[in-house]
Amino acid sequence: MIITKQMDIRSNIKKYFDLAYNGEAVFVSRKQSKNVVIISEEKYNDLNRANRLQAYAGPLISRSSSKPAATLSSDSIREDNLKKLRNIGNLKDNWNGNGASAFPKTIIDRVTDLINKLPIQPEIFPTALNSIQFEYDNSRRDHMEIEISDSDEAEVFIVTYFGEEIEESIPFTYESLAERIVQFYG
Amino acid sequence: MDDNFKRAEKLYRAVYPPEVMDMFWKRDGSISSAAFADPNGLSVDRGYYRSDTEVIHDMEARFNGHIISLYVRNCLDAGAIVKYLPSRSNIFHSEIHGSPTNLLLSKSQRRFLAGKAVIVK
Repeated sequence: MIITKQMDIRSNIKKYFDLAYNGEAVFVSRKQSKNVVIISEEKYNDLNRANRLQAYAGPLISRSSSKPAATLSSDSIREDNLKKLRNIGNLKDNWNGNGASAFPKTIIDRVTDLINKLPIQPEIFPTALNSIQFEYDNSRRDHMEIEISDSDEAEVFIVTYFGEEIEESIPFTYESLAERIVQFYG
Repeated sequence: MDDNFKRAEKLYRAVYPPEVMDMFWKRDGSISSAAFADPNGLSVDRGYYRSDTEVIHDMEARFNGHIISLYVRNCLDAGAIVKYLPSRSNIFHSEIHGSPTNLLLSKSQRRFLAGKAVIVK
């Protein structure tokens, strides 16, 4: 790491940018300790990737470790989801006041099975389309919805932090859903 | 009242089912886009110069759950359309449609509107 002052950066900005580009971290000391560090885009992306990995791996690590609090937290979300699924399963015809049908047991069963298996728990919501929507939000502030019905395919909708939208259909199998969720967090 | 909606007019949506009031609420306190999926068109009450208090009072006569509000401009910005469809029991009844030919809002429209919705009760 190279340590320098703000004034020196001003007079030699190209030199320090080139150093940062070539892998050096340039620490700039400023008054009142308002210090900054200049790093390359590549290093910045590496750091972000590491943070995302931590966000993804956290629940998995907690499941495999013996830390009871972390495990309890993950299991607690799963329990909440299973309880909510039971509430969804109990909804009667016209539950939305506009003609929505009660949920068939087949949909509740396949979603229950998924919730029991998935290492990263979603938030779950019923829709008036006789489907159940999984929602995920990652540390990049991207948002993903997975709509599960009695179809052989699940509908995936992603909105990135930058507003880019992606819609796709993927096979309704545990493997393809788990893979898509890992990609979202990866 | 007619089919002309001002962009600043508010629309109010009763979030069903009233017996499970937190069904569509996310852990961060926002509402899920799933609450905006309705193949028969998204029913709302138009504000039409009434205050939030007046609208809530009127809606509570028929419904005892959460109520959210949106502006007409939010719907137009999402590319959705707002139709005035009064019924015998509710002269303020209106619907938000995905397009002139599709009653269902697209996933993108639902997500956009969920982000704009404000809980009023």
